[in-house]
Amino acid sequence: MANDSLPSTMATVPGFDPARAGKSAECDGGGAIVGTRYAGREEFAGTLTGEYVDHGDPPWRWYLLKDLVRRPEGYPGDAVWCLAENLFVAGEPV
Amino acid sequence: MGKNPLHTKLCDLLGIDFPIIAFTHCKDVVAAVVNAGGFAVLGEAMHTPDGIAADIKWIRSRVGDKPFGIDLVLPASAPDASTLEQLLAKIPDEHKRYAAYIKEKYDVPDPKGQQALHQWGGLTHEIARKQLDVILDERVPVFVSGLGSPAFMLKAAHERGMKVFGLIGKARQAKREIEAGVDVIIAQGYDAAGHTGPIGTFSIVPEVVAIAGDTPVVAAGGVTTGRHLAASICLGAAGVWTGTLWLASRESDNDMIIKEKLIAATADDTVYSKSVSGFAMRVLKCPWTEEWAKPEAPRVLSSPYQMLLASDYIQAANDHRRADLMFEAAGQGVSFIDSMKPAKQIVNDMVEEALSVFEEITGEAADA
Repeated sequence: MANDSLPSTMATVPGFDPARAGKSAECDGGGAIVGTRYAGREEFAGTLTGEYVDHGDPPWRWYLLKDLVRRPEGYPGDAVWCLAENLFVAGEPV
Repeated sequence: MGKNPLHTKLCDLLGIDFPIIAFTHCKDVVAAVVNAGGFAVLGEAMHTPDGIAADIKWIRSRVGDKPFGIDLVLPASAPDASTLEQLLAKIPDEHKRYAAYIKEKYDVPDPKGQQALHQWGGLTHEIARKQLDVILDERVPVFVSGLGSPAFMLKAAHERGMKVFGLIGKARQAKREIEAGVDVIIAQGYDAAGHTGPIGTFSIVPEVVAIAGDTPVVAAGGVTTGRHLAASICLGAAGVWTGTLWLASRESDNDMIIKEKLIAATADDTVYSKSVSGFAMRVLKCPWTEEWAKPEAPRVLSSPYQMLLASDYIQAANDHRRADLMFEAAGQGVSFIDSMKPAKQIVNDMVEEALSVFEEITGEAADA
């Protein structure tokens, strides 16, 4: 169940950032938990494909992280979309 | 001692009397804390955009021009897009059998109605964005992002005269958000209720203070007393973020059973468990968390599978008000909650205790 599609009816603009393609990255991720009023943190590490999607205006940018080498225990996929500002890319300043 | 140590830059930024922020899911608590001279933030992550707009209107009618905040959970990684049926089909039989075993062992009844989890249908980027649009349209004085970075909407918020706070669990995320221009950074430690970062409050707060420059840092996680408030100021924080503190307050709409449990609980009655949602979160211990902690229990599933598995137990416990089954997210500071006080008294007691701690240290009373 690779999580490589972001379903939305919002205006979305896909793009590709060649400078980031193939780079290792970590994502301090997470989100709201359905059925609760709580949020949860999840950590991922993997390789950026370079693909991104901008949602809405002002643009809310998400990058696709694949070939995960770190993911929450039991996470069923091998890919995750990560919020740009929660992504830490190897070789780029924090 | 001279200068009042509780009059911090957070007070100046927000125009409040005391550097105490209440995080709550109850509108009445928001109104009571704001009117008592503190600041309050309403958690609205699971509310519809229309519901959020109505709550904002209600709060404004109770607090007038005084500032308040709304907290949303901006996602930081994308949830799975499968349907509920697809998700349920992927829960292993071993786990379903173990949940059934708990249900039988503790005589857990069936939920009375359709589970709220199933009604909601998930929280997507689109819903989060629509929620955010309401916050911007309403020009809520303060927006708090409880998880994902709010950097992308800072300009829009500032143009509307709003302030934006970011809540983080790691110093590197704090650095990112401070550089992006958040107005306040909330450093949350492991002691907190619910889903926290892995770093303790006593470590994360000064670590963030060291990199925050002029941006006020607010301490979160286990903060329940005036002594905690004083300690947070000493760590360099400009205020405190408190959640568990209000759960048993007079104004809180929590079930009385939960309030009694919170009052009776100590830190040892909380557990950092993945069994509720698949995310590690701090909650009051209950049969569900205890059974999943046993060596013979199957390995806890990831989110959202574990949440789907737990939802029957949670809904049944609440629907039938079974005190032996019910639980609530609670931080380690729960030990200090010993009565059901009005929110105003909680604020006043916290301020008074903090000032007496500073007096104890300096030997002098603070200027009012």
